[in-house]
Amino acid sequence: MITKTILEQIEGEASLYFDMKGNIVDFVTIAFPHFRGMEKMLEGKNAMDALVITPRVCGICGHSHLLASVRAIEDAYKNSDSVVEITNKAAKVREITLVLEIIQNHLKWIYLVLVPHLRELSESEELLNTPLKGAYGASFATKILAIFAGQWPHSSYMVPGGITSDFTYVDLTKAKSHLQKLTEYFEAETLGASVEEFLSFESCKDFAPLESDFAKIEQLLIDLEMHKKGHAKDTFLSIGIHEFSHAAKVKGTKLFKVASKYVETQDAYAPDEKSYAKNALYKNQFYETGPLARCMAKEFKLIKNMHRRFKDSAYTRVMARIYETAYLLGFCKKLLDEINISEASCRETIPLKNISGTGEGVVEAPRGPLIHRVQIKEGIIKSYEIITPTQYNIASATKENPSPAQQAMLHCSQADAKFIFRTFDVCSVCTTH
Amino acid sequence: MHSKQEHKLKVFWLQGLTCNGNAHSFLNLDYLGELLEKTEFLQHPLLPSKYALSEMAECKTGCDVLIFEGAYDPSLKRAGVFVDKILRHYAKNAKYIIAVGTCASFGGIFKATSPQTNSGILFNEAEKNGPLQEYNAKIINLSGCPVHPEWLGFTLNMIIDRRKIVLDEEHRPQELYSSLVHHGCTRNEYFEWKVDANHFGEKEGCLFYKQGCRAPMTHGSCNTILWNGVNSKTRSGTPCFGCTESDFPRTNLFETKTNMSIPADAPVGVPKRAYLTVTGIAKTFHIKRLEEPLIDYKNNT
Repeated sequence: MITKTILEQIEGEASLYFDMKGNIVDFVTIAFPHFRGMEKMLEGKNAMDALVITPRVCGICGHSHLLASVRAIEDAYKNSDSVVEITNKAAKVREITLVLEIIQNHLKWIYLVLVPHLRELSESEELLNTPLKGAYGASFATKILAIFAGQWPHSSYMVPGGITSDFTYVDLTKAKSHLQKLTEYFEAETLGASVEEFLSFESCKDFAPLESDFAKIEQLLIDLEMHKKGHAKDTFLSIGIHEFSHAAKVKGTKLFKVASKYVETQDAYAPDEKSYAKNALYKNQFYETGPLARCMAKEFKLIKNMHRRFKDSAYTRVMARIYETAYLLGFCKKLLDEINISEASCRETIPLKNISGTGEGVVEAPRGPLIHRVQIKEGIIKSYEIITPTQYNIASATKENPSPAQQAMLHCSQADAKFIFRTFDVCSVCTTH
Repeated sequence: MHSKQEHKLKVFWLQGLTCNGNAHSFLNLDYLGELLEKTEFLQHPLLPSKYALSEMAECKTGCDVLIFEGAYDPSLKRAGVFVDKILRHYAKNAKYIIAVGTCASFGGIFKATSPQTNSGILFNEAEKNGPLQEYNAKIINLSGCPVHPEWLGFTLNMIIDRRKIVLDEEHRPQELYSSLVHHGCTRNEYFEWKVDANHFGEKEGCLFYKQGCRAPMTHGSCNTILWNGVNSKTRSGTPCFGCTESDFPRTNLFETKTNMSIPADAPVGVPKRAYLTVTGIAKTFHIKRLEEPLIDYKNNT
């Protein structure tokens, strides 16, 4: 018998249709019921307007949409024989603000999604429910982001040629100081170790001396046998070009070259309810995207070690997201130190009305590759396509070729399956843009 | 005597067609912890809540304050129930209804996707003909895309303290929306002397003349109550897009419509003739200090 469950608190909601064999999940299909029509809204508009409209696709990763959008427009310039080269300073600041958005996303996920659902599933009082830790940490990250971008959410500070912000040393000093405080906060409240020490760990055994939220999370995951559950397809995808990530297709532990042109979408298979989500596939195959995929592509020792022992289990997926938070805090500090303030923030470009052509922008958003594809005629948008990370992870396909999340939920209890679903950090609004 | 616990303000945060941006913006509030001591979220899309949305959708309880985020879409369901039904049930007994964000206030971005059916809860762009007319007296609009966390923090605290919130004609608190976004902008001196920003990425120059800045036509306190406590769009060199107004989103957002190279729209309340005269005079002067870079890093580092 197929039973329907509506899951909330995933940046919107999704319907899960469970086909059970006794108490064990035999198959699941997923439907996203809401539609907003962002792509259609952009048609006929000045291409610059995309920089204001597309961040509004999503309240938690709008900044990633802004970067994808500006990259798509700059690519259209290039394809129209007018290459836009931004300065190192602009490139680094774009990277810093993207990384800060990922950090705020992960901090909220840890304390507003992971902790409450882990408590519920384990019925443990060991781990305290402290949502404000997530909100406070995230608000610190967005404060630093806003020093450069004006505000968060919904900034539009990236434009073709660079960034609008002409910040000073006063701003830079403030940003560094806030980042230091945020890092210390994460070390004290979450890790129970310094970021440096944590990143030097090579195996799960190194966690033994820790007494922290992280240690409790790790122990509860093991108690719940999440290292033996929630395995997806053991194939990973990281496509966006950034300093903090490595673009690659990963099968098991083998890395292969990757090209965004092989990403395509198909209608979701959701026989019980109309779904407005489309599945995203790479060369017709499903891949997992997000922190675990990025950690595998980047070949981080600790995560590779976990993967060797537990493969792409729910445990490894959760650990990768926390590990990435620590890694990105350190990375952000390095970037702030490298900024040369005397470089231009924005280089002049020829007016957009002289541009006709297609462009693509690819970004590693918090949940994985985000692609914007635009077709421009004399500065006006002819068509706009957005492919979001959740479309890969939480695709809904047939039993013969399940998506990563569908695969991961098989052969466990319904309660476990719902928790495993959330380990993918689902973003409903992005999926149904 | 009731205990303090029982006096907590019962708040239900319901979502229409949205991006979740207002819910996330609210989490940035500096004094969120203190506010949560005084309120009880029966349901919030992100924060731990007393009830699940599916329980609230059964429409068996009530709330003191109903917060609505997102555009009103008559065909939309939440937890399997029409949002219209949930909205009307809780609106009936709530003491206040707060529309957070421009979608809930006027329709905003998610009216633009389906203009025939979607709107704000009280207003449909500038027209006051949204679905909740009968609750007109208790609706507060906190427009903005997204809402500023402190604007919502202020409003909830005023309700908790039982103070009267003075509203403007569009049901927005005067304390937050009586001044223009222009007020407090760090580029005001350039505005006074009509010095344009030549292009993006410079701290000098005003963005009103070429880059489409709507700050002199937009009600809001973005430049006095700073975003994330540190900045604003215009301070960081991005034009204001007028996101608190009923006509958001406009088109050609990075361009200023001009007549004879003077902005076609004058600042709110300034007679066009007065504006043209002042602009004409100001433009005849060349003030060297305002035409040069403020800081010369290149030659001094």
